[in-house]
Amino acid sequence: MARKFIHIDMDCFYAAVEMRDNPAYRNVPIAIGGRSEYRGVVSTCNYIARKYGVRSAMPTAHAKRLCPELVLVPGRMPVYADISKQIRGIFARYTDKIEPLSLDEAYLDVSDSDMMHGSATLIANDIRKAIFNETGLTASAGVAPCKFVAKIASDENKPNGLCVVSPQHLDEFVRELPLGKIPGVGKVTLQKLNHLGLFTCDDVRRYPFDQLVKRFGKFGPVIWDRSHAIDPRSLNLTRERKSVGVERTLSQDIQTPDECLSMIDSLFPKLQERLRKASPSQRIHTQGIKLKFSDFQLTTVEHRFPLLDKHYFQQLLDEAMARRNNRGIRLIGLHVGLPTQRDTEQLSLPFPELESSC
Amino acid sequence: MKFSISREKFLQPLQLVSGAVERRHTLPILSNVLIKVSEGALWLTGTDLEVELISSVSLEGDYQEGEITVPAKKLFDIVRGLSEQSDIIFEVDANKAVVRAGRGRYTLSTLSASDYPNLEDWEGEVEFELSRADLKRLIDSTHFSMAQQDVRYYLNGMSLETEEKTVRTVATDGHRLALCRLHYDNINLPARQVIIPRKGVLEITRLIEEDDKLLKVQIGSNHIRIFSTDFIFTSKLVDGRFPDYRRVLPKGGDKEVNASKDVLKSAFSRAAILSNEKFRGVRLNLASGELKITANNPEQEEAEEIVEVDYQGDELEIGFNVAYLIDVLNSIHSDKVKISLADSNSSALIEDAEDDSALYVIMPMRL
Repeated sequence: MARKFIHIDMDCFYAAVEMRDNPAYRNVPIAIGGRSEYRGVVSTCNYIARKYGVRSAMPTAHAKRLCPELVLVPGRMPVYADISKQIRGIFARYTDKIEPLSLDEAYLDVSDSDMMHGSATLIANDIRKAIFNETGLTASAGVAPCKFVAKIASDENKPNGLCVVSPQHLDEFVRELPLGKIPGVGKVTLQKLNHLGLFTCDDVRRYPFDQLVKRFGKFGPVIWDRSHAIDPRSLNLTRERKSVGVERTLSQDIQTPDECLSMIDSLFPKLQERLRKASPSQRIHTQGIKLKFSDFQLTTVEHRFPLLDKHYFQQLLDEAMARRNNRGIRLIGLHVGLPTQRDTEQLSLPFPELESSC
Repeated sequence: MKFSISREKFLQPLQLVSGAVERRHTLPILSNVLIKVSEGALWLTGTDLEVELISSVSLEGDYQEGEITVPAKKLFDIVRGLSEQSDIIFEVDANKAVVRAGRGRYTLSTLSASDYPNLEDWEGEVEFELSRADLKRLIDSTHFSMAQQDVRYYLNGMSLETEEKTVRTVATDGHRLALCRLHYDNINLPARQVIIPRKGVLEITRLIEEDDKLLKVQIGSNHIRIFSTDFIFTSKLVDGRFPDYRRVLPKGGDKEVNASKDVLKSAFSRAAILSNEKFRGVRLNLASGELKITANNPEQEEAEEIVEVDYQGDELEIGFNVAYLIDVLNSIHSDKVKISLADSNSSALIEDAEDDSALYVIMPMRL
């Protein structure tokens, strides 16, 4: 039986929420993110801002240069999370096979659904309508026989659009696709592919498989598969968190270990809080620290460690600081790796005092 | 300093105190045994600064009082290697200790007794007596559940608790817990809880026989001491708070299984052979009247055992680390074991159906 996937993506989610809740934002370019004085980055912006070239993950200072009248709006994560929950509730009316990718994006597998006469296209449109009626926000959807094509399709007719790639048109759709559209192909990989004269999936189809593996390692077969419209992945319904972390870009570079330690002091409770949510047993697999130096070079130190321990960060910091070479520090992050399924097979006794002992 | 003694009388206390002596220690004197002759008795002391063992034996022949330290392992090996009926003369001459037996003569290096570390003075705050068999039972029922080199250092030991007429031991590594409690009608103890470090616990089990001879236990703020007829054992305590076992004793395990311990133990031991060597998981499928045990490993080998058990109730599938199950079954004395379960994510409570002094809690594995 043919598989049917829907990828739903909210249209500039955070910005849309702000425009919904505050009429003053509706006709001006806005961006959600930290302020440029504090070296923030844009997390989302509306379509008016996009016309100026403003993009997600762009430093706010840069965005301001492109669009001087850009209005910066601080994010309201709890509000976004609530709406996200509401939207997931809508998905759940259609299927229980839901793989959320983030607050504003999810895959649905409706292969077995007999709602709407089994039509994924009708389901996708019904979901978009329900989202708009119940939240006042628009979503775009892609429908396809495999996951990655559904994701690419949802971007085709944005905003507030639908794109259906039927099994008959799958091959044709993928053949024309620029390689940069394949999820996982980033700037660097794309450059390497272009350098080999590969620009579209059709180009890859005519390129020798073993050469691709040789140049791209284990990602090679993935590029080859996707270019042939092959994506055997089903929904990942039990997405396991692999790590939790907190980080902060400093408003001004810091220099001394003492300054770093006081940053650790202020970040640590947040990490504890996140770990408590992600892993009630508080067991961890690794503990690590991340520093970004004034020249934007990143360094991380991570070691195996069984329980979150604030003092251990000091040791990790010493190791990371040894790589500083007199550069300032602009970002500091703390993270822990969580035990994988294999490690957590053995359950722990529910001692309250062991769970909060760090 | 000088004394004479039979090999047999010397060997026993020497072996006893050698247990506390670290082989490779940064402090050279800690690999020595302290030998002291005073008031007609020979006193031997071994320590690693955490655990101290003193043993004594009365002297029959001539002696000269004094004290000295000599390498423990070497002295022990020499005495052990002598023929059984040997008589030994031990003498300190200048800076050397000389051991003579028959036509053999061994000259050992010495270090001054005054440099030998003493545990600081302390006072006993709680004292009680119990038989060696009882203390052995308290420890043997629980010690296998102690953690080993856990960062939660207070789990690397055994909790010993006194409360009115009860002496209780608890050990847990966070995945399983073992508890044993004995009641005495003739005592009334203050409420007190201490943690004996792992090494000390294992040392005590090595030292005591299972008999009715009485031991005196003395607990201070940082130490515990056990007086026996043939030794005095002292251990530092772990400074930390032991987790409260009451919080993890399962309640509402409505599925009760009664079975023969020996039958279960041998079935688990066989199934264990084909379990994953690292994770040691076995799957238990419980149905009316029978328990199916299955195990498999990455080599795709599989074990299946069906055991008759006394059980009426819903079916249940639950996984466990088979080593934990075998540890518990090994420490149960009677052949009747009772297992209470709730669901596949909740702990199992295991008890000896004929003796409620000990109980065992094991968390399941997700398989």
